[in-house]
Amino acid sequence: MAGDPYAALGLTKSATDAEIKKAYRKIAKADHPDLNPDPAATARFKAASAAYDLLRDAEQRRRFDAGEIDAQGQERPQRRPWRDHAEAAGNPYARSYGFDGDPDLSGVFSDLFGRRGGGFGGFGRGAEDPRDFHVRGQDYRFSLEVDFLTAARGGKTRITLPEGGDLEVAIPKGVRDGQTIRLKGKGGQGLGQGGSGDAYLTVAIAPHPDFRREGDDIHLTLPISLPEAVLGGKVAAPTIDGPVNLTIPRGATTGQKLRLRGRGVNGGDQQVELKVVMPPRVDEDLARFMEGWRKDHPYDPRAGMEAGG
Amino acid sequence: MIRAPGWRRGGKRMARHYSETDVVAILDDLDPARLRSFVAAHVVTPVVTPQGHAFTEADVARLQLLCDLSDVYDLPNDVLVMVMSLIDQLNTARGDMRALIQAVATEPDDVRGRIITHVRNVRVIVRD
Repeated sequence: MAGDPYAALGLTKSATDAEIKKAYRKIAKADHPDLNPDPAATARFKAASAAYDLLRDAEQRRRFDAGEIDAQGQERPQRRPWRDHAEAAGNPYARSYGFDGDPDLSGVFSDLFGRRGGGFGGFGRGAEDPRDFHVRGQDYRFSLEVDFLTAARGGKTRITLPEGGDLEVAIPKGVRDGQTIRLKGKGGQGLGQGGSGDAYLTVAIAPHPDFRREGDDIHLTLPISLPEAVLGGKVAAPTIDGPVNLTIPRGATTGQKLRLRGRGVNGGDQQVELKVVMPPRVDEDLARFMEGWRKDHPYDPRAGMEAGG
Repeated sequence: MIRAPGWRRGGKRMARHYSETDVVAILDDLDPARLRSFVAAHVVTPVVTPQGHAFTEADVARLQLLCDLSDVYDLPNDVLVMVMSLIDQLNTARGDMRALIQAVATEPDDVRGRIITHVRNVRVIVRD
């Protein structure tokens, strides 16, 4: 906030607390960025809300009036207004605004934008005759966070619906980020013989520290020791269904990719990228061996680089 | 920065999550009873996690708007539900419109010309 917080509210220092509140509300009503798209209105609202944040607290106001603090220091980080979030794709509060029932345009419309939750109160389903008062209950939409392995392997998770009430949800094997699980009859209560609505859970898959998923394939970076890289051999590689033995070829190197067929999700593969890891400390034995080895076995791993060594 | 449970490092960007206690601490105008009443009225829906309810960054912005509307206009919750439904419809339409305009803007001149002619015929009243 630049300058005088009283001026931002159209007041002077002598304003009472009630006047400050009233002035802020007046500006918020006219200029709230979620209700008024004019950038000038947003600027007025920001100044007024910063001023109000400072002056609404009696002690802070006293300190500001006494010159102990300045208006700038009280400025709080501005949050993005709801509207910025609301326009973004994937906003869970996105709502149908009237084309779904249009006989001419609903097809084109849903081709472009898909289908969305109905209007408020769960009405607007179209097919029911409004005179018979049998209205199906509202559908509820939630986001459900599922951990990586449960999503890959399938399983059950217990959730508490925002309505209250505990519920066990079966997570289908290989569920993808953004997919929706329908819980029949777990939505709002209907009217008459309308029956309950459904609950739709949009799945968000939490990342795993080691595994990544691309489609049905699982990707994993597997650290191997220097002797394992040089000599090859069998090492235990974690997969989503537990460790399996993986044969490291002799002379394996960082970045080399091996495939564990069928160890991904639903018949996909697991791709293992090797990463050679040095011992925590290079001891005398290793250094002495390398010095001797280097003399007789020079090689230049940078020979193929176009940028030159 | 608040590192709430649910925020995860690296890899895919995951929306940061705030617990009920976090959001009440962040928003001056929100107390637990008011938060529960918003959830019960379905104007905000927490993310369901195995650890309980959580809120995203977007939910925090929405809760701020809900508090503003409740306080500034003294809106009771049933009116708030109606107002938020209209705001959601408008924002959804605005996001769709933005995507369509962006798509139109990248089309060749003749396609843009046909679209402009059609929209003007239907939407713009020209007075002589």
